[in-house]
Amino acid sequence: MDMQYANFPYLSTLLIVCIAGLFTILFLPAGEQKKIKWAGAVFSGLTMVMSIFLFVAYDKNIGGLQFVERVLWVPSLGIYWFNGADGFNLPMLLLTGIVFFTGVLSMWELDTRVKEFFALYFLLVTGVFGLFMSLDLFFIFVWYDVSLFPMYLLIAVWGSTRKEYGAMKLTLYLLAGSALILPAILYLVNVSGLKTFDLVALMAPGTLTPFQQKFAFIFIYIGFGILAGVWPFHTWSPVGHVAAPTSVSMVHAGVLMKIGAFGVLRVGIFLCPEGWRYFAPLMAVLATIGIVYGAFVGLTQKDLKYVIGYSSVSHMGIVGLGLSTLTIEGMNGAVYQMFAHGIMTALFFSSVGYIYDKTHTKMIPELGGLSRVIPVAAFFFILAALTSIGVPGLASFWGELVVFIACFKVYPVLAVVSICGLVVTALFMLRVVQKTCYGTPNEHHAHIRDISFAMGIPRMILSVVIIFFGLFPSFMFDMIETASSSFFKGLP
Amino acid sequence: MINWALFNTEIYFLITAAAFLVLSLLPKADAKRDYVTALSLSAIGIGVALAGINQQGDMFAQAYRIDLFSQVFKVLLSMGLFLIICICSELKSIPERLHPEFYFLLATATLAMMILVSSVHLLTVYISLELSSYCLYILVYLRTEHRLSLSATLRYFIIGATASAVMLFGLAILYSFTGSAYLIDIVKTLPSVIDRPMVIIGLFFTLAGFFFKLAVFPFHFWVPEAYHGASNQVAAYIATASKVAAIAILIRIIALSGGHSEYLAKVLICLSIISMTVGNLSAIVQKDLKKLLAYSSIAHAGYALIGILSMNHPGYAGAVFYALALLILKFTCFFVVTKAAADGENPTMDHLAGLHRRSPILALALLLALFGLAGIPPTVGFTGKLLVFTAAIQQGYFFLVLIAMINVVISLYYYILVLKAAYLTEPETPLPRFSTPVSVKILATAMITAIVAAGLFPAYLIRIAEAATAVFI
Repeated sequence: MDMQYANFPYLSTLLIVCIAGLFTILFLPAGEQKKIKWAGAVFSGLTMVMSIFLFVAYDKNIGGLQFVERVLWVPSLGIYWFNGADGFNLPMLLLTGIVFFTGVLSMWELDTRVKEFFALYFLLVTGVFGLFMSLDLFFIFVWYDVSLFPMYLLIAVWGSTRKEYGAMKLTLYLLAGSALILPAILYLVNVSGLKTFDLVALMAPGTLTPFQQKFAFIFIYIGFGILAGVWPFHTWSPVGHVAAPTSVSMVHAGVLMKIGAFGVLRVGIFLCPEGWRYFAPLMAVLATIGIVYGAFVGLTQKDLKYVIGYSSVSHMGIVGLGLSTLTIEGMNGAVYQMFAHGIMTALFFSSVGYIYDKTHTKMIPELGGLSRVIPVAAFFFILAALTSIGVPGLASFWGELVVFIACFKVYPVLAVVSICGLVVTALFMLRVVQKTCYGTPNEHHAHIRDISFAMGIPRMILSVVIIFFGLFPSFMFDMIETASSSFFKGLP
Repeated sequence: MINWALFNTEIYFLITAAAFLVLSLLPKADAKRDYVTALSLSAIGIGVALAGINQQGDMFAQAYRIDLFSQVFKVLLSMGLFLIICICSELKSIPERLHPEFYFLLATATLAMMILVSSVHLLTVYISLELSSYCLYILVYLRTEHRLSLSATLRYFIIGATASAVMLFGLAILYSFTGSAYLIDIVKTLPSVIDRPMVIIGLFFTLAGFFFKLAVFPFHFWVPEAYHGASNQVAAYIATASKVAAIAILIRIIALSGGHSEYLAKVLICLSIISMTVGNLSAIVQKDLKKLLAYSSIAHAGYALIGILSMNHPGYAGAVFYALALLILKFTCFFVVTKAAADGENPTMDHLAGLHRRSPILALALLLALFGLAGIPPTVGFTGKLLVFTAAIQQGYFFLVLIAMINVVISLYYYILVLKAAYLTEPETPLPRFSTPVSVKILATAMITAIVAAGLFPAYLIRIAEAATAVFI
């Protein structure tokens, strides 16, 4: 893989900004809630700007890994501080930056244990950034766990609806995932004989035998698949999303689930292409089941957040389907869908969070006529729902389209089944929109104030991103293409 | 001619013990005086141990070896003693007149363990092991006013005496087959006879004594009772320093086999798996924090054993690192629960209620220590686990590592329950804000820093651990 060393450690700086934000918040007195929120906004805003900068500054003509930093960390184990950006992780970094910043703004009205919340939130996002940029298996694992580390408290303290159960279930499921990943990583490092955790070095063809790749791939796929919400390991995800507070749901459904899919891609598919080829049909079947299952279960839900939770399972199925086609188009579509779904879910949870904060309910039958009571907030909600359905002109459309085109060539039957699932998704999304935003307003909610300009900013940012990438998908596709085409070229 | 300079650290701790013996003879009990003396003496002790870290040589007809391995462990032990004494400022569970004896026994136990890690002769091993055990028996009993201390001591003593008798038998067998009581001779002859059943039995009998110390299944039954009955500080000492010494001597003894025995590895794998599983599953239902930590100690004995049973250089080095990790993490846990139950009672989950408000820094320290024990990065516990697991994978024990990782998930469940008590549960009756003087804050900050720093920047420590264990390869 081509590598362009960075003349300035941009990626590490991004992490350092996160950590600096964490420490700033830790050292502010707990009573200074306004200052803490401003510190959060400033630092997360900085990371968003930096991630946009990286996205734009990446030279698509050269491709490969850019902004590379590589320092020996633990010599005896061959661990490197090795970060780099390519067409796969730049969309993810951009996604994280946007969701991070909008998440902080969405929690502007938080008033309990503000300091702890933002400190843990920063820690969570530090882990996510670190994972996306890292190219060293040790650090990938470390960041994976760092992003799990604060989850329990974030959900159990600030969440709602069976929060302790949801938090515990989520934590244990995700840690079970890491319990499968670590032995597989150590196994790969050991059998390679290279004594290094350097992902790029391990990727060299011929390092691992086909059997070793198949063996390890199963563990890595299931381990990261749990986090990606692959059916049948998805059950933590709706429960966890429902229980989590708004911005944590945003990060969780928007970004953390992408970590799972990204891990499958970066560790599983990169290191074990033979295993990927071998298990691709299985991945495709599981993904299809996920798409259909998520859609049908979502159809019966009464709780708004559950609806989104199950639609996430369904949409992450599309990512899995794209990855399992073994084609460049499928991979492009999958990564695009990861980005689009992240932004879309973030907007979804952000709007539902607002509705829940004001009406104190997220049960669909108790809502109604919101577009008359709070038209602006309802607009954001409807936009998210339309994106989720995959309406052309909005970001998700392109991801789904490309994945299904790729899938039709490889697994025609599964493609048809999945599209039927998508129709059901469209059905239940429209039903939800109709029941909550139209119809007769609940008179208890008549006095609710519509979203203020300040509270509207994070939703506006997300909406703009959705529409922008819906209208100009090539910005993203060109980027992903540089990575996927060079990856396929490198395959034996 | 004996070079007494090599014996500096031991002499220092002997003097420390003697000083408390003198203090115990004074007519007037003065807890403050004893505490300050102990604190300063043990702080200097770390310096003395550090000063001797590069010493090398043999003493006492070559029954006693000073090398980097022993000196590293002496530093760890002196650190353990110092840390334990740090949390003795409110030693309410032990009668005031017994405080000098308490410190005397702590110092003597530490001295005995220091001798243990330097012992390279079967007799010195046995004697120092017994000396440290006897000190601990009495230390457990020192909480004289507690109804459980006697039964805990009895149970501890009986199991300890049994293990030691079995061990003595094993030592005799080893001696009869190898014709020498010097470890350096045994290591030459043992690999050639290791496949004889009797030798294997002798080796396992020998290991019994150390398994008892480390609380490996099936010698773990004393642990929950002893922790429960002993005062919090003594339980902390048993959980930290005593385990460190046990890991050290286990490395020395297992290294004797030269890594050539299939049997030995298989049996150790079984013991390791059973220890982890039994410890973790039993810990789930505990409400008493000391019992919970006791069962988690049993589980950690299993993890530490993974490094040792790999019988390769990374494994031994990993075990040394793991000893350090256990020392830091277990101590931090005990530190917090001791502070939470400052009246000297046995701490339970209820004592932790609302800790995040009552003392944010202690709550943070507990959070990190628990995640560290669960082996979640970026803590020293994760690095320790990574090292021992890497070593095991190199030997092809993939499924052992997988089982260990599943155990990690189980253990996280009960660690999270503790965390929940500290961060979510609000006390039913408003508990008084407990005092966190500057000294407590400094100690908590130091432990937090140590946990994270040793987890993120382990390169230097790993290098020391590898250098220290180079003699076994």
